[in-house]
Amino acid sequence: MDIVIYGLINSVALALTALGFALVYGISRVPNFAHGALYVVCGFITWIFLRRLELPYPLCIALAIIITAIIGGLIYQFVLIRIRGMSISEIIASYAIGLAILEGFRWGGFKGMTYTLPVFVEGSVTIFDIPVDWHRILVVLIGAAVVGGLWLFTHYTRIGLALRGMAQDERAALMLGIDSDVMAVVAMAFGSALAGLAALLLLPLGNIVVETGYNVLLLAIAVCIVGGLGSWVGAVLASFLIGFAQILTTVYWGTHFQMVVALLAIILTLIIRPSGLFGRQKELEERV
Amino acid sequence: MKAWSKLVVILAAVVLVVGVSATARAADPIVIGAPLSTGFLYGWDAEKAIKLAVEEINAAGGVDVGGEKRPFTVEVIDTRDLEPGVPVSEALLAVEKLILEKEADFLVGGPVRSEAALAAMPLVSKYKKVSIVTTGVLTPKFHAMVAENYDKYKYSFRIHGEAKQLVTEIVTQLMDIKEQFKLDKIFIMAQDVAHARGAGEILKKVIEPKGWNVTGFEVFPTGTGDFSMGLIKAKKTEAQVLSIWMDMPESSILLKQWFDMKIPALPFGSTLAAAEQPGFWEATEGKGEYCMANVVNAGNAPSDATEWTMKFYNAYEKKWGIAPEGLGSSSSYMAVYVLKDAIERAGTLDSDKVVAELEKTDVMGVYGRLRFDPKSHQVIPSLDPEKGAVGSIFQWQNKQRVVVFPKSIAKGELKLPPWMK
Repeated sequence: MDIVIYGLINSVALALTALGFALVYGISRVPNFAHGALYVVCGFITWIFLRRLELPYPLCIALAIIITAIIGGLIYQFVLIRIRGMSISEIIASYAIGLAILEGFRWGGFKGMTYTLPVFVEGSVTIFDIPVDWHRILVVLIGAAVVGGLWLFTHYTRIGLALRGMAQDERAALMLGIDSDVMAVVAMAFGSALAGLAALLLLPLGNIVVETGYNVLLLAIAVCIVGGLGSWVGAVLASFLIGFAQILTTVYWGTHFQMVVALLAIILTLIIRPSGLFGRQKELEERV
Repeated sequence: MKAWSKLVVILAAVVLVVGVSATARAADPIVIGAPLSTGFLYGWDAEKAIKLAVEEINAAGGVDVGGEKRPFTVEVIDTRDLEPGVPVSEALLAVEKLILEKEADFLVGGPVRSEAALAAMPLVSKYKKVSIVTTGVLTPKFHAMVAENYDKYKYSFRIHGEAKQLVTEIVTQLMDIKEQFKLDKIFIMAQDVAHARGAGEILKKVIEPKGWNVTGFEVFPTGTGDFSMGLIKAKKTEAQVLSIWMDMPESSILLKQWFDMKIPALPFGSTLAAAEQPGFWEATEGKGEYCMANVVNAGNAPSDATEWTMKFYNAYEKKWGIAPEGLGSSSSYMAVYVLKDAIERAGTLDSDKVVAELEKTDVMGVYGRLRFDPKSHQVIPSLDPEKGAVGSIFQWQNKQRVVVFPKSIAKGELKLPPWMK
């Protein structure tokens, strides 16, 4: 039962971590390698508001997500837009920005384990003799709500439909009056906000350290490659695949190999099915 | 007359130049190179302690080198050796840069990670620089290398406790726990680094014949952010003590999860960087209460091991606004004093002569009587501060780090968390 419970929690955490990356790539085709840095940025902003300015926690969360979204939008508007379509340059530029942000925090003295955020709900509950803390249960519920909300947003709102239109066929979307640059900025801001939301849900379980940014980026890339770059559904399914594989590895093989699972998943996917589980467009291109 | 006056002016100029250069030479500082992983606790705590000692020594007039008072100066380079994925070569470059570019006369501090410190030993020998490691490096191989090949590695010293000594202290404490609380099942959780895996293995070998049942041995990669499955394993095996060997900052997550999941096992950390820091209580919102940590030497947590212990503790807190933070604090501080003492006795900065004097070191320091084994250059440990370098194990109790081991310096009694009673 512990495999089911913690597999589910781990999978939802992975999905939350990767959704922002998948969204940005799905719409603007920009691989946002600053994703992990934005995750950490949101954590530190919240920490500063909460611990230094002593603002109410919900207000800190709202402000941090908004600021992270604005930072993401600005990164696209002032840097990535100029190199759009040049994949290698996009990767190098976004990774460099992420690196500068993360190492900037380290240089600024944000190091050590003293940067923490409080959990939303204290205490734990025992399910089938397995102890689970309430915050983790909340992560699963909010994660499910985010995935559902994202589906509703992209299917029933004008901006959501415009984003999907962009993702499906940018030229057709342009002909229908959708400004692709504006939508790409919106997508980047939205993806950054999702990274921030994931951070605020997951960081209270641990602490805010610079290294998390690199790990989050690696996991997000693994999930998106396995799920198929650009596919949100694929990203969610891949999260469950990798999430449960990690827990099974931990139980039957050893925690030591947990990180290997994500890296192995990338390698196997690239060998067996380079387009990933749901990367249909890429698959067609490969066939041609 | 004109020629005479010219001669006088020239002579005065010569006297002035010679005088000025002599003064400058008198003020020439002794450069201490500190290769430290400054982004991590075991790097920055050592840096702060070294700078504190240097400041104190300089304020008292400096170092008497053959009748000439010279100040210490510190050059720090970040070795990054505690960062995951950074190759050992980075630390070696830092050491070489300190020697060649910064012209360090002596090395004090790191490299911090055992692997990097071992790799730096031949480099230190090549340049004949006296190096005193003061933080992190726990592998017994360090002093074994000196003992096996003295002529080559005689420039390397270690002034803090090493893994075998740590295990000895931990085993002694575990036997006390067994007797006092009737606990005999232990689960070992180690970070995937040489010293932690090695020490965990040694502990397993040593305690099993002493009646302890090792219910599991789990290795966690550096950077792990979720320990729930490991904790569930520990709970399933009915472990009563968690032996934790981790120096990564994420280890505080382990303690938070341990509290949230109410795992009925006493956490006992060694090189548990997160729990060593005074900010641990705040960082875990008190969830780390009852966590024990071995801080290698006294003085890294408040105690009255010697008259100097609290003087150092308070001076550190006064200068840096925070109490000594990790296992590298008191040893890094003492290394500078021990070096000063050896230089003064040698009367020169010559490495071979300073090595000979360091081998004769016998001072009552912050964590007891400090002497080096003349063959291995390892500081001689003891459970009694009157006899040797004494260790320190504390437990978090009501926002305080209360030293519970060794008995000779203990400030309180060990307690079990309420859900274990």
